Amino acid sequence: MHLGSPDTADALGAAGTGPLVRMVGIRKAFGPTVALRNADVEIRSGEIHALMGENGSGKSTLVKILSGVHAPDAGTIEIGGSAHKAFRSPNESLRNGIATVFQEVLTVETQTVLANLWLGSDGLFGTRRSKREKQRLAGEVLAQLVEIPPSLDALVGELELSDRQACAIARALLREPRLLILDEATSALDFDTRGRLFEVLRQRSAEGVGVVLISHRMDEVREIADRLTVLRSGETVATLDDDWTTPQLVTLMTGSDRLTDRRATTSDGREHGTVVLSTRDLRLATGSDPIDFTLRAGELVGLAGLEGQGQDLFIRALWGLPGAEGQVVRHTRAGTRTVASKYAAKRSGIAYVPRERRAESIFGWMSILENFNAATLRIDRRAGLLSGRAALARFERYAAKLKIKFGRPGDGIGTLSGGNQQKVIIARWLASDPDVLLLNDPTRGIDIGAKHDLYALLGELTEQGLAVVMLSTEVEEHIELMDRVLVFRENELAAEFTKGELDRDRLVGSFFSDEGSGR
Amino acid sequence: MSVGARIRTLLRRHTYAFALLLVVVLLIVNISIQPNINWTNLLASFAPLAIAAIASTPSIISGRGGIDMSTSPVMTLSAIFFVSVLIPSGLGGIEAIPIVMLLGGAVGAAIGLIIVILRLSPIVVSLAAYFIVIGINLKIAPRPVLMQGDNWVTSLSGSFGPVPAALVSIAIPVAIWAILMSTSYGRNLYAIGGNDATAYSAGVPVSATRVIAFATGGAFAAFGGLVLVGLVRTADSSTSGAYTLMAIAAAALGGVSLTGGRGSVVGALLGAAAIFLIQSVLADLRMPPTWLPMVYGALLIVSVVLGSILLGQKKGART
Repeated sequence: MHLGSPDTADALGAAGTGPLVRMVGIRKAFGPTVALRNADVEIRSGEIHALMGENGSGKSTLVKILSGVHAPDAGTIEIGGSAHKAFRSPNESLRNGIATVFQEVLTVETQTVLANLWLGSDGLFGTRRSKREKQRLAGEVLAQLVEIPPSLDALVGELELSDRQACAIARALLREPRLLILDEATSALDFDTRGRLFEVLRQRSAEGVGVVLISHRMDEVREIADRLTVLRSGETVATLDDDWTTPQLVTLMTGSDRLTDRRATTSDGREHGTVVLSTRDLRLATGSDPIDFTLRAGELVGLAGLEGQGQDLFIRALWGLPGAEGQVVRHTRAGTRTVASKYAAKRSGIAYVPRERRAESIFGWMSILENFNAATLRIDRRAGLLSGRAALARFERYAAKLKIKFGRPGDGIGTLSGGNQQKVIIARWLASDPDVLLLNDPTRGIDIGAKHDLYALLGELTEQGLAVVMLSTEVEEHIELMDRVLVFRENELAAEFTKGELDRDRLVGSFFSDEGSGR
Repeated sequence: MSVGARIRTLLRRHTYAFALLLVVVLLIVNISIQPNINWTNLLASFAPLAIAAIASTPSIISGRGGIDMSTSPVMTLSAIFFVSVLIPSGLGGIEAIPIVMLLGGAVGAAIGLIIVILRLSPIVVSLAAYFIVIGINLKIAPRPVLMQGDNWVTSLSGSFGPVPAALVSIAIPVAIWAILMSTSYGRNLYAIGGNDATAYSAGVPVSATRVIAFATGGAFAAFGGLVLVGLVRTADSSTSGAYTLMAIAAAALGGVSLTGGRGSVVGALLGAAAIFLIQSVLADLRMPPTWLPMVYGALLIVSVVLGSILLGQKKGART
């Protein structure tokens, strides 16, 4: 309440252009790893300010300092004119008018939407608002963000990912912050909700709220950010107004020109090999059109579409998970066999990298090496016992191949950046020597450097004959990388493009209607 | 929404459904075998387990595996303290209730503080507390202490007019809890149990909420100690651990999720009732009591399995 009260509005200043938050000389180390060396950021009220940088550049750490998760080792935080050394907890940061939405969709699944939206806004025992008022305000904010808002009494655990993240964003908005931080908060949102969120952000910033945006989507940043600050290796390298170009930004972030793309590394029009996987009469929902799909060795096929249009069901069906009708057939030199379960999939050389890294792939408490060889322990057996040396040798081979940056193989997986964690997971499955690799949005939330490493790797692997199916939410990836793109709409295959036919407008257009579709 | 989905939603919110069904069935069986039940006595012997189950619930809801092993020893501590300290010093009246509840609350708060400050696993800390409190009990009362004569606590096993007194003594912690749950504390508690990283980042006072959960459990356990001593008229340090596992089993049977964030005191109460009634039915059927632990174990498994089937475990299906 106090945040939305008139005195806050005074503190913001009517002009809405003064510095709202100034962070000067911020330094933060985690043990031997220096996350921030010397970072300066200034956020004005009424602006949308993007923080750009590769993973490991320190932008997340910077934001976590603002939101009270970490305390800086040195430097000062000035907010609304008063200086702070640190916020000791998210609670203290929130009391200073800073609300943060994190990338990891932070909701309490066992509670209702309403309880989630007001989570943390009450005191230990008391509450400032009546239930009726809470319902009204929560309903309003949700209606702004989501086209068909979930019921306030629904359990959050029953909602789709995008709606869960919308709840986390609504929670931050309900706090009436003077600084709103979105740390990769949009990657879990569907297309429509993202558009609506941007509308809300513009509205709030017009009212004088400062917005900090961290996003790996250039289009998003271009669309909405007024200014941006670039971080590299824990230091601020530049602050730009909105007249930047993508190559310029990439150069600033990477410190070099590193715009390799697959077209440069692989030959176009290469002949693909034999059929390795096909679907027969695969229906993603009862009554929907069947999908007949064939995948050839050496092919890289993209699955595109708006969030939740069936592409996720499709890729998991290829992995043998139930949820779809029909058959998935694996073709090998030895003959054909049906992929009826994930075990059958693994046995027949199909590897799957799931979407939610933290929840579905990572063993957070285990080491890098253990995460790597979790799926292929069998290979490291020497006379029935596991050999640490064999595992290590194997890991180092893949680490070099995938350019994984790590301290020691025995370090916790948590010491790696998201991109490097993802590389370890991909290495885990490559080590099972698959013929078919299924990747479910593998570049989500990883930095540009790691993305480019991954693109190059995919080029190499497909050249060696690996067939890859990759679900991606990034239009650019489909255009740049794929030999073929399948577009899904309402659990049906809506369009199919081959490399030559792909361009941005056609592809995005096909997400929405039949116009521009390839069939 | 289909009927199945509606039932699932209902069960997800009322996780005690299985325990409720069990209690109803067992009550019917019980009454048909033994039509003239002495409700006052039955409830009086049920009350200590009921309160132990209630006392176990807050910390379990608070999550992170917040099983409080010290519930039962704290009950005994309270009984011993009452008989051998409070009564001799003239504090044996009704004022003993707040005194022992403060004592139990302090033990619970200490456990909670250690967990929160040193970031230790709740079960380890409360297991340590379990042994320490049993040690204290043995120190104060190496031999069972008999309560001399009648006292107000003995009337807790009788009746107030037509109302079995046990109902009142069970209602006291339930009422305190209900009041606490109608404040924002309730939502905060379920939030930290459901997902404490989320709650922390949203600004919920996670540590304070967790400590209060343990303190409340301790206070309830201490109150249960008075009810226990009123029933058996002895405070016996050698039975310090008697209710520990039963109380946790009752909570689990009653749909209190041991991972936190789900379930309620009402569920724990129903779980306790189910456990208690099985015992009484088997006794009525002249089954040897040696069967009891196996029956409890089997029921616990059945209830947990049924619970997860009925809930449909959407998460699992998604992977």
